[in-house]
Amino acid sequence: MKKFNVTVNGKTYEVEVEEVGAPQKAAAPAAPAAAPAPSPAAQPVQKAPAAQPAPAAPVVPKGPVPEGAITVKAPMPGKISAVKAESGASVKRGDVLVVLEAMKMQNDITATADGTLHEIRVQVGDNVKTGDILAVITQ
Amino acid sequence: MATVQEKIELLHQKLDTIEMGGGQQKIDKQHEKGKMTARERLHMLFDEGSFTEISQFIHHRCTNFGMEKKEIPGDGVVTGYGNVNGRLVFAYAEDFTVEGGSLGEMHAHKICQVQEMALKMGAPIVGINDSGGARIQEGVDALSGFGRIFMNNTKASGVIPQISVIMGPCAGGAVYSPALTDFIYMVKNTSNMFITGPKVIKSVTMEEVTAEDLGGAVAHNTISGVAHFACENETDCIEQIKYLLDFLPSNNMEEAPVYDSSDDSGRMDESLDSIIPDSDNVAYDMVDVIKSCVDNGEIYQVLENYAMNMITCFARFDGQSVGIIANQPKFLAGCLDINASDKAARFIRFCDAFNIPVVTFVDVPGFLPGINQEHGGIIRHGAKLLYAYCEATVPKVTVVTRKAYGGAYIGMCCRQLGADMVFAWPTAEIAVMGPDGAADIIFKRDSDKEAKKQEYIKEFLTPYKAAEHGYVDCVIDPKETRPRIINALAMLYSKREDRPQKKHGNIPL
Repeated sequence: MKKFNVTVNGKTYEVEVEEVGAPQKAAAPAAPAAAPAPSPAAQPVQKAPAAQPAPAAPVVPKGPVPEGAITVKAPMPGKISAVKAESGASVKRGDVLVVLEAMKMQNDITATADGTLHEIRVQVGDNVKTGDILAVITQ
Repeated sequence: MATVQEKIELLHQKLDTIEMGGGQQKIDKQHEKGKMTARERLHMLFDEGSFTEISQFIHHRCTNFGMEKKEIPGDGVVTGYGNVNGRLVFAYAEDFTVEGGSLGEMHAHKICQVQEMALKMGAPIVGINDSGGARIQEGVDALSGFGRIFMNNTKASGVIPQISVIMGPCAGGAVYSPALTDFIYMVKNTSNMFITGPKVIKSVTMEEVTAEDLGGAVAHNTISGVAHFACENETDCIEQIKYLLDFLPSNNMEEAPVYDSSDDSGRMDESLDSIIPDSDNVAYDMVDVIKSCVDNGEIYQVLENYAMNMITCFARFDGQSVGIIANQPKFLAGCLDINASDKAARFIRFCDAFNIPVVTFVDVPGFLPGINQEHGGIIRHGAKLLYAYCEATVPKVTVVTRKAYGGAYIGMCCRQLGADMVFAWPTAEIAVMGPDGAADIIFKRDSDKEAKKQEYIKEFLTPYKAAEHGYVDCVIDPKETRPRIINALAMLYSKREDRPQKKHGNIPL
């Protein structure tokens, strides 16, 4: 519970504000930055998924695209049903990178240029919109 | 008084000067850029020795800014006619070595002259553009030249095939003559088309872009859909133009030339029996289906890299030219969207104008859903496709290979849009919608929805319901597709179909 003084039209009001989601927040795995790290036990929790031989990395990169890189975008809205290439691999124009399920079809999404696959920005099960960046290729 | 011999010599001197265009230095510069001169291009286009140049003595009439002293050989454009693979074709080629190929009043006059001759003679015209734009010194007279060319382009539209070739800059108003013609060829890295170039764009919108990225062959063949063909170099480009001309009749009163086909008209292809995957959510390449059916597996794709969910191409069946329109399940699931509708509609109208039968291969799951599509006007763009098919009176043959759902099925030349023969493969699914959507609506409250859905698939996702009601003429074994199409086209050869007299229709543009 926090108290604030709010002034409206010259009149001051004292208001109390309670953070509703606070107790749950600590347990939420999706917010590692906000989670308190009281013991080293927090470390293995983060490492565990990386140790599994899962093909899709748990952390999907977002953010700016490196200058001069080529992006592969979703041509239509749908769901990612397979990821067929790994970051760092060299790719040729036409190589299948991911499979997008849309219009009841498994659509191969292919590299638009030769180069190195900088990153894949989606994982299986993701819903994507038209124009979402699926992969980034550097030359 | 000069002797006759001297007069003849003077003629040859004058002709030699004109022949050299802007002079050796400018010609060398043109070659350095990987470009040919106007005359070299025309000599390559026409059969050897068949090109006749006309009006080479035309001289500009401009007196502004000291222009009266300026010699502009041929006024910057070479015009004439000749044979391409034995058939009469008219052409003009702008000469960049002469005043940057700039368009003045008399330059435009020469272009209009060959346009009018081509129209009178009923022969195709090829226009090679390589020009810096309007000749500023000539002011509004240069602009009027553009206007005259546009008028002639429009008058000739649908009467003779008009082919535009961009082999250098083509900017501002100059882009609209090519845009009014039937096909635009561009050469990678040496040609550009735009209304406003990179400099103006930067000063107005702060966007930075290179000329090639903005209006190069690849940009216009993939993103804008302006250029129908993007060629590797000028030689490749001219070879492709000749190849295209062989598919086309000389004018709207003639039939396309028929070539002896070395391919057996009764040839069947067993591979078509297994080309459709068992699972109906897996794609296949429709180009393989088309190539297996046409003569010698030879197709010439128009706008190959634009709206790739729709294939438009020329090919031959038993030597006869046809236009093929097909959904491509490999791209965007083969659905119809704005660009695919525009691409197909324009191609169908070209074929209809020039008596080229239309063969349609259908595997369409529907229209592409999305706010972009709806707000982009898929309603009016999709309507173009319907309009073009309904309007076309050439023989129309449709082959349904797999999905044909809902409005998109109607749009892909079904019986009601005037298909003369509709074939369906046993794998065809001609229905109002796919099983999941249908089950959600009609079996919504059913406890055994899944069982009912399976029943729907068995009963309705077949070609037989449509065949029972006369919407499909023949359900055929896929391997028989080629002989069946050839047989249908032969039967349809004498087809005559009239429409009510009118000035012109009002296609939803």
